[in-house]
Amino acid sequence: MTGESALTRGPDRLWPLVLVSVALHVGVFAAAFLVRPPAIVDLDQKPIVAKLIRLGEKRPEQWLPRRDVPPPEAAPRAPDAVPVPIPGPPAPAQKPVALPAPKVTPKPTPPRPASATPGGKGSDALSRAMDKVSKDKKLAEKERWGDPSGVSGGDATDASEGDRYLGLVTQALQASYRLPATISEQERAQLKATVVLTVEPDGRVSTFRFEKRSGNAAFDQALERAVRESRLPPPPPELRQRFRTIGLGVNFKV
Amino acid sequence: MRKLLVAVALLAPALALAQRQYIDVGSPDFRPLALAVANFPAGPGAQADAVDVQQTFRDDLALTGFFDLLDPRSFLADASEGTTASSIRFTRWSDVGAEGLVKAVVKREGPLVAGELHLYDVRAGREMLYRVYRERTARALAHRFADDVLQYYTREPGIFRTRIAAIRKGKGTWELVLMDVDGKGAEVIRRENTIAMLPSWRPDGREILITSYRSGKPEIWGIGVPDGTARPVISLGDLASGAVYSPDGRSIAFTASVDGNSDVYVAGADGSGIRRLTSDPATDTSPTWSPDGRRIAFVSSRSGNPHIYVMNADGTDQRRLTFKGNYNQTPRWSPRGDQIAFTARDERKVFDVFLVSPETGKIGRVTQDQGRTNEEPSWAPNGRLLVLVTDRGGRQQLVVANPAGDRQRVVTSDASGMAAPAWGPLAP
Repeated sequence: MTGESALTRGPDRLWPLVLVSVALHVGVFAAAFLVRPPAIVDLDQKPIVAKLIRLGEKRPEQWLPRRDVPPPEAAPRAPDAVPVPIPGPPAPAQKPVALPAPKVTPKPTPPRPASATPGGKGSDALSRAMDKVSKDKKLAEKERWGDPSGVSGGDATDASEGDRYLGLVTQALQASYRLPATISEQERAQLKATVVLTVEPDGRVSTFRFEKRSGNAAFDQALERAVRESRLPPPPPELRQRFRTIGLGVNFKV
Repeated sequence: MRKLLVAVALLAPALALAQRQYIDVGSPDFRPLALAVANFPAGPGAQADAVDVQQTFRDDLALTGFFDLLDPRSFLADASEGTTASSIRFTRWSDVGAEGLVKAVVKREGPLVAGELHLYDVRAGREMLYRVYRERTARALAHRFADDVLQYYTREPGIFRTRIAAIRKGKGTWELVLMDVDGKGAEVIRRENTIAMLPSWRPDGREILITSYRSGKPEIWGIGVPDGTARPVISLGDLASGAVYSPDGRSIAFTASVDGNSDVYVAGADGSGIRRLTSDPATDTSPTWSPDGRRIAFVSSRSGNPHIYVMNADGTDQRRLTFKGNYNQTPRWSPRGDQIAFTARDERKVFDVFLVSPETGKIGRVTQDQGRTNEEPSWAPNGRLLVLVTDRGGRQQLVVANPAGDRQRVVTSDASGMAAPAWGPLAP
C-alpha cells in the first residue's frame, strides 16, 4: 500500500484539473446547445452589407422616387407616330375631379409652345415652355442622387457600415443570384433557404450544403447554380481558417 | 500553464463553431425562362392558321416578361423530330439554351381551328403538358395555348383570354372598345355622342360601368357585355362618376358632387341605398376597392394637394397613404392586394405611373422618361401586369407593363388614340 503513495498523491494533484475539464465540457456543450441553435435558424439575421454611398446631393424627401436605371423604351412605334397634340380638351374626359390636370405637348421642342400650366395659353407660353425645358434639362443632369458624405465611386444611395469582405461576398453572390421569372409572386414571398459554403483560401467554394431548404425545387436548384457560377474573392488571412472549417452561412431570400 | 493549454484546446472548436457568420443575399434578378417554340406544322388548308397561332402565341408569352423566347433562327427544324418525348433530342435543345420547349400542331376541322399543344422540360427530357383544343379562330387557339403555358409555369390562371376595355375618342363620338390583351381584335360595343369615360368591369365580366353625359350631367351607366345595352345605374347631385364594383359585385363605390362638395359614396349594385363615406370639404374622389372588399383607397386634396388615402369600406379610419409627390391620382388596388397603382406628377412635371404599398406606404415607379404622360393604370386580374395610357409615341395609346416597369410594350396603334383602359376579369 505504501508503494502506491505516488499514485494516490497523483489524483489528489490532478483533481482541480479534472474539475476544470468537466466545467469546460459542460460549458462547451451548454454553449453549443444554448447559443448555437438560434443562430442557425435565424433567417431574419441582419445582413452585413458593405455599400459605398455615392457622393452627391440628397434627393428631396417629398419627391417621388426615380429609378437608377431607366426602363428600356418600348418597341419603336409605327411611323405614324408624329407628335401631335391630342385634339379636344381631354381634361374632363380623363380626370373626374375638379382638379385641373396640366397637360403638355408630347415633345417639348422649342418651336412648339407647351401649355405647362392649366389655362397657360397666353403670349408668354413660349418663354415658360423654354424655362421648363431648361429646368427639365438641369434635373436630367442630376440623374444620380447620393449623400454629401459619400464617395465618388459609390453605387448606393444609402448604406450602413459593415464588413468589407462579407460585403464583397454578398456582392459576388448577388451578381449570380438569378431566379426564373416564372416563380409566382405568391411563391416568392415564401422563398427562403440557408446554405453553408466552405470557402477555400483562394475563394473557391469547395462544398455547398443546405442547412435549410425552401421546399421549392426550382428555387433550391437556382441557388446551387448561383453559388456555382459566382466567383468569391479570397478571404482575408484572419478569416481563412474559419471559412475553410466552419464555413460561411448564406441566407437566400427574395 | 498546462491547465490553460487544456482549457484552450477544449474550448477552441466550440468558440470557432459559435462564430459561423451568416450573410443575407436578397433581391434576386428574376430572369426570364428560356423557351423554344418549334415551328408549328399545319394540317391541310391550315397553313395561315398555323402561322397566326404561332405568332399570337409568341407575342402573348413575350408580353408577360417571364419568358425569353429563343430566336427561331438559332435552331434548325429537325423534320424527323415528332411530338413524343422519345423522338426529341433534348440535348440539341439544351445546346441552344432552351429550358422549355413548345411544340404544337394546327389543323382545320370545318369552321374550327384545332390544335394540340405539347410542352417539354428540356433538362428533364420529359413532356410536362399536353392539350387539345378546337376554337373558332386561330387567335383564340393561340391565347388558349399561352394561358396553359403560363399557368404551367406560374401555377396561376393565364390572362390571355381576358379583354381590355378602353375609350376611343373620335370626332364628337366616344366609343367603348373591347380588345384582346395584345391590343388586337378590337371591337366597339357602344358608341356615344356625348362624353363617356372611366369604364370599370363588373367582376363577372357581363357589364361595364361608365360615366356618361348622355342626360347632360355625369351619371353612372351600365353597359352590357357584349351586347352594348345601356342601363342607368346612379344619378346623384351635380355629378356622379368613376364608379367601381366591389370585388363581390354587390356594391358600387363612386364619386358624387352634392352641393359642390365632391365625396366618395357607395351604393348597391342596382344603385339603391346610397351612402356617403367621406365628408371632408376638400375634394374626395376616385375610389378603388381592396381585393377583399374591406377597404377603399381614394384621392383626397384635404392636405392641399391630391394624395392617395385609404379607409375602411364603411368610411371609418381614413388615413393618408402617400406623402411624396404633389399630384397623385387614379389609384387602382392590385388584385393581389399588396400594391396600389396610381398616376403622379413628378418634379419634372411629367405624369408617370407609380405603385404604393397600402401597408407600408413605400412607393415604387413603373414608368420613367417615356413621354410626358403615362397614366390611368389598370391591373390584370392576376396582378402581374398593368395596362396604362401613354403619349410616348405621340397619340395616346395603351401600354402593357409589368409592375417593375422593365418590361413594357405599346399594344395599340389606334389612329384616334385610346384612353381609360380597364382590364377585364378572367374568362369563366
